[in-house]
Amino acid sequence: MLEIKSLSKTFGAGVAAYHALRSVDVTVAEGEFFTLLGPSGCGKTTLLRLIAGFEQPTGGQLVLDGQDIAAIPPSRRPVNTVFQSYALFPHMTVAQNVAFGLEARGTAPGDVARRVDEMLQLVQMDHLRDRKSAALSGGQQQRVALARALAPRPRILLLDEPLSALDLKLRKEMQAELKRLQREMGLTFIFVTHDQDEALTMSDRIAVMEGGRLQQVATPRDLYDHPANRFVAGFIGETNFLPGRAAEGQLRLDGFAPVALAEAKAVNGAVTVMIRPEHIIVGREAPDCVQTSGQIDELVFFGTDTHVKLTLPGGASLTARAQNSLHSATDLNPGQTVPLSLPYDALRILPDEAAHAV
Amino acid sequence: MLSEASNGEALLRRAETRRRWSLAMPALIVIALFSILPLAVMVVYSFLTPGTYGNVVWQFSLDGWFSVVFERDLFDDTLGLADAHLSILGRSALLALATTGLTMLFGLPTAWFIATRPVATRAYWMFLITVPFWTNLLVRTIAIQEVIRADGTINRLLLGLGVIDAPIQMMFTNGAVLLGMTYVYLPLMVLPVYAAIEKFDFRLAEAAYDLHASRFYCLRRVIFPLIRPGIVAGSILVFIPALGAYVTPRLMGGGRAMMWGNLIDLQFGQGRNWPLGAALSVSLTLLVMIALVLSVRRFAGGGRSDV
Amino acid sequence: MSKRKFSVRHVPGAAPIAIVTFVALYAPVLILIANAFNAGPVIGRWEGFSGRWFVAAIGNDAFRNAALNSLIVAALAALISTSLATMAALAITRGRRLRGEGGIFVVLNQPLLVPEIVLAIALMIVLAQIKQATGYHGLGYLIVAHSTFCIPFAFMPIRARLEGMDLTLETAAMDLYAGRFYTFRRVTLPLLAPGILAGFMLAFVVSLDNVVVSSFVKSPGQETLPTYLMGELRRNLSSEIYAISALLLFASVTVVAASWLITRRKP
Repeated sequence: MLEIKSLSKTFGAGVAAYHALRSVDVTVAEGEFFTLLGPSGCGKTTLLRLIAGFEQPTGGQLVLDGQDIAAIPPSRRPVNTVFQSYALFPHMTVAQNVAFGLEARGTAPGDVARRVDEMLQLVQMDHLRDRKSAALSGGQQQRVALARALAPRPRILLLDEPLSALDLKLRKEMQAELKRLQREMGLTFIFVTHDQDEALTMSDRIAVMEGGRLQQVATPRDLYDHPANRFVAGFIGETNFLPGRAAEGQLRLDGFAPVALAEAKAVNGAVTVMIRPEHIIVGREAPDCVQTSGQIDELVFFGTDTHVKLTLPGGASLTARAQNSLHSATDLNPGQTVPLSLPYDALRILPDEAAHAV
Repeated sequence: MLSEASNGEALLRRAETRRRWSLAMPALIVIALFSILPLAVMVVYSFLTPGTYGNVVWQFSLDGWFSVVFERDLFDDTLGLADAHLSILGRSALLALATTGLTMLFGLPTAWFIATRPVATRAYWMFLITVPFWTNLLVRTIAIQEVIRADGTINRLLLGLGVIDAPIQMMFTNGAVLLGMTYVYLPLMVLPVYAAIEKFDFRLAEAAYDLHASRFYCLRRVIFPLIRPGIVAGSILVFIPALGAYVTPRLMGGGRAMMWGNLIDLQFGQGRNWPLGAALSVSLTLLVMIALVLSVRRFAGGGRSDV
Repeated sequence: MSKRKFSVRHVPGAAPIAIVTFVALYAPVLILIANAFNAGPVIGRWEGFSGRWFVAAIGNDAFRNAALNSLIVAALAALISTSLATMAALAITRGRRLRGEGGIFVVLNQPLLVPEIVLAIALMIVLAQIKQATGYHGLGYLIVAHSTFCIPFAFMPIRARLEGMDLTLETAAMDLYAGRFYTFRRVTLPLLAPGILAGFMLAFVVSLDNVVVSSFVKSPGQETLPTYLMGELRRNLSSEIYAISALLLFASVTVVAASWLITRRKP
């Protein structure tokens, strides 16, 4: 539905040039909750502003429903934005704000009124329709901003970190509500955030960005289980990295015996191996695992589990998570050396990219 | 494709720049035609020869500038006016400085008083300062004149009480001009100083007292340095119009306590020496601008420059 | 327990001096207004309370003409200077920094940097040439001169308002299908309105109060209220002069109070 083809954006020129976006290719499907995730300065907001039309691309194409929209000004693009600061018009009431886009398009007054009612009911703001937008709480402003952007029936709704100004409890509520709205309306959402939990819980697919490039586009589950590179692995969730070598279908972690691994068939040479802390088995030997031992440096209690910080015989550090059930984990003590098992199928081989190895 | 897109962006940006310049242009043209151009004419006139009945003769001469400072014997030994000029210029500078000092003396405590009122009432106190600021300068001068003139309020009061037998002559003196200017320019001191004190974080003063500062030490080392930009701004706002004042010295000082502005007026009127008047005008303008640049530069170095 | 609670905000002597200042600021004006209500013509010889000098002033043709001129000049000068200042403010406070923005700013404030008497005489010289060349001696000269020095006054509140305005609001309007003109009419202008109104009123008051430039620029026989008052001062002071002063005072206080109320109102 929305095809982004080798889209790039450079601010400034010459030595002062800043490449905010470097040849991004991705396709967003109809009805998808698509999230752009990355640290600040990664280019996610630039990409959103290009889709909205607030910035002109330096190169590439933006194809919406088969039509290149790169040259169409924002006032004629069938996409609407929920701004980070909400950007509600302070001199207008809630209802006037919601009506704005419809009126700007020249919709008949009767249709405007009907659509405004519908939208205000949808976000449960009907009772405050005549309130000036400046007199609303953060959560209420958020709802009005959403209704205003949805009212003109955009093909795509763009959301620029819309929940970042809300406190934690409200943010959780709004996450659920946004997801519900999106599912009920079957509308395409492009959602920008730097919060990985938010991205993982809400999205159908996530595009992880860094340095103006797409690092990986995948479902939340795939992103977590099969990160494409070290950056994605480190940005999403907690991870242990171990150095190793791969050759002829064998993986050899430094200091261990080689293991036959299907994944290792595709690579040759130095690799980085990733294992999630919750996959490490602490305190016992298990089958189909790399066996080793570690000395416990520190135990941090987290309620449902305990983070165990260990040093391996080779000197490498490792963090594992031990589930806190009624009987386990209490027998671990700092200084103690315990057996560790690293399941074969939890080991992920990451290409050892120079850019991320540094 | 690539160059086409960035070309489009450059075009857009150029159009935007053109649009914004054309928005600013009408105001710039009006000011250029009716404020900057007349001033340029004034500069030109200061280098011409006076006409017999006023105006100028288009002949280059430095006499206008020369006679700002020097006197010249003409056909006989009559004394030139330069002494009178210099005393008037000197008086203008001194009176403007004294006005600045007096407005500070009354304005700083007043600004402090207002800034330390509860937030809800501050606006009303400030309203009392802004009303005189925006009301007619001529009328305010008439009002202060009424208080001290020969038949004015003070003299009538003292005569009525039998304290004096004859009215005290207070008008047409340096003191009268000083009083008048202090009265009319006082709000100009209070406004920026208030803005500076209002922004002052009083927790800093608490910290100073906590570190055993005395009230005076705290004022000198903590409060004053932080509100200084406001005081400098207030001083500029008072000094500049006071130096070039025309209406107040004319009413309060008459012909006896003239100031620079009145001297300029005189040269274009009865004096019939337009080049001298023009030279006096240009030098006054230059002085004002130099004072402005110097103080702006000083208070740019004085920390916060947001007043 | 000490009698007064310690406060860092308390400075001994500030309050008494402030009270003296307020009294000194208002007493002369109040004395002037009181004298304007004297039934007798001689100031200081109280013959009872009366508004007759106000009636006399308003009944006076010369006064009425001057008042009418003042209002026409102030209204048009405020209108012109506010329009020009609004356009200029829109040009230099929005979007990316314009090259030469500092220069525009200095030029816009230039009339404030020149002593008034210098500007007045310089304008007199230039406009005298135009008067001679065209033969036109109407109010146009006063209107143009006042429009010029009113621009910086009108500019101040408009610029302040624009700088406090969120640029995202205009982006949001564009996102919601509003074109450039529609955005300006529905979003920018309404949000800017209080600033424009305040600018208009300040320009109006500044023009209404001006005496120096008006004295030198006006054609013979033409008077504005302040120049008329200045001329009357050459004669003996009278209750009528004080009544005229009080009227002028009243006019500017009304406009200032109105503008104060408008700018205090939240958007």
